[in-house]
Amino acid sequence: MSINIKNVDYSYNKNTQLETRVLENINLTIDKNEFVGITGKIGSGKSTLIKLFNGLFVPDNGYVHVDRVDASDKKTRKKVGLLFQNPHEQLFSKTVYEEIAFAPSNFGIKGDDLTERVHESLHLVGLDSKITDMSPFKLSGGEMRRVALAGVLAMKPEYLILDEPTSGMDIKGKKELYSNLKRIHSTGACVIIVSHQIDDLLPVVNKIVLMDDGKMTFAGTPSEYLENISSPVPEITQLMRGLRSKGFNVRNDVLTVDDAYGQIKNLLTKK
Amino acid sequence: MHSFFFNYVPGNSLIHHLDPRTKLLAVMVASIFIFNAETFLELVTIAGFFVIIAFISGVNYSIFLKSLRPMSLFFIFLFFIQLFLSEGKPIFTIGFINPTYEGLITGLQITTRFIFLILFASILTATTQPVMITSGIERLIRPLPLKYIGVSSFDIATMMSLSIRFIPLLFDNAKKIQYAQMSRGMDFKNNIFKSFSSVAVPLIMSTKRTAQDIAIAMESRCYQGIYRTSLFELEMKNADWIVLLGISIMVLLFMFLI
Ligand SMILES: Nc1ncnc2c1ncn2[C@@H]1O[C@H](COP(=O)(O)OP(=O)(O)OP(=O)(O)O)[C@@H](O)[C@H]1O
Ligand SMILES: [Mg+2]
Repeated sequence: MSINIKNVDYSYNKNTQLETRVLENINLTIDKNEFVGITGKIGSGKSTLIKLFNGLFVPDNGYVHVDRVDASDKKTRKKVGLLFQNPHEQLFSKTVYEEIAFAPSNFGIKGDDLTERVHESLHLVGLDSKITDMSPFKLSGGEMRRVALAGVLAMKPEYLILDEPTSGMDIKGKKELYSNLKRIHSTGACVIIVSHQIDDLLPVVNKIVLMDDGKMTFAGTPSEYLENISSPVPEITQLMRGLRSKGFNVRNDVLTVDDAYGQIKNLLTKK
Repeated sequence: MHSFFFNYVPGNSLIHHLDPRTKLLAVMVASIFIFNAETFLELVTIAGFFVIIAFISGVNYSIFLKSLRPMSLFFIFLFFIQLFLSEGKPIFTIGFINPTYEGLITGLQITTRFIFLILFASILTATTQPVMITSGIERLIRPLPLKYIGVSSFDIATMMSLSIRFIPLLFDNAKKIQYAQMSRGMDFKNNIFKSFSSVAVPLIMSTKRTAQDIAIAMESRCYQGIYRTSLFELEMKNADWIVLLGISIMVLLFMFLI
């Protein structure tokens, strides 16, 4: 069970003067049991890439297969849950309940099953069940994003793809989101996150993909990433590498503040 | 892409270089001619003018024909309304449906007029950048006493250029929202009403938001709707005066011939 991307090119505005090649010769395999981070500079093609995963875009060359079936096949839409950048801009229903029920009911879920899914997803994103009757437009920006996320979670996708889910979130919100995503991953779903914030990604994912100007320049585990890529790396990694180059005996693959704290403390007590 | 409204086609022709005011006036005169045209000969003459001017503009004829497409339903509607609702000699009668010969003639006439109207207007939009059209209109209506109804010609010009700027934005946005909802299983075949509102509601909301943002951004940069110097100062050249003279002669000839 995996998403397979083979020799994929993609251009916008095909066959017009404005044609621009945005993705070039992408080869990538994402296994169902992975937790994947996709990162890269602005405009490097991350959002375009993930729209190929659920068949919204069809590659010019090459193919995208989801569980050995072409991504443009009807069945993949249901398997692959995709949350766009700025998802609060797609809310449209009269109530939060209807908003979250939209996707599952489109895929034929009804009755008690549907209600249960709505409440479950609300819980996963840390919202209170009391708000189901409220208008989604009355919520705060952060709450709207969570409702939109719940709307995709309610599909119970086998592959969950989120485009910049943490933008506009406070630190606490981010922590909660990541721990919820880990929980979803542990239930057997594949989670793919697009983010600029490599500091947040590296500690949680087990595969990281780096995009640069439409090309994939790296794909591998976080430790492989730290061995091969000098930038971008998390700030705390940079700091520890700086210390190391000054002769302090610390590791050069530190990813979290806790880890760094432990090492520095060690140094100090040794002295 | 958003290629069906205001599709300016860059070029270097005589028509491209005319002042927008000249072209606006020419289109106005052309529409008066078009709406006075009754006989077949008159309509053919107008068609001839269109073919010649379009040729001079150097813009591919297919671009002009494309500008008719969004209006095609309207043309068909117009034609059938005339055909079935005009009084006269019936072509045939089935129940209360009776198209008439008179209806057929007026239907054809009126539809042809509207088609010509769009075609001439499309010469203007194909050869003139939207910002030039707005500044042309602004210059033409500046002498009108608009301040008594609470707007200035600059307000109107600003409104027009903002609306034009919004059209491609609207299309891009609609596309984006449609993709987002498709990812949530939206399918126009399942529930057309809900599918439609799942695109329309966010589209309206986001457009409203953008409009508000632009208004605030303009005000915080001291937009006041009063006279502003323009980046493109309009200037009537010799060619413009010659064209205007030609148009006046034609109008005079026409008035005396009738
Ligand atoms: N609808 C579109 N039409 C034409 N070009 C587009 C369109 N959407 C994106 N592009 C171009 O494709 C390139 C990649 O865009 P994409 O949105 O995939 O980047 P991204 O990596 O997601 O960037 P960001 O980090 O800003 O979200 C950019 O150069 C962008 O200008
Ligand atoms: Mg993006």
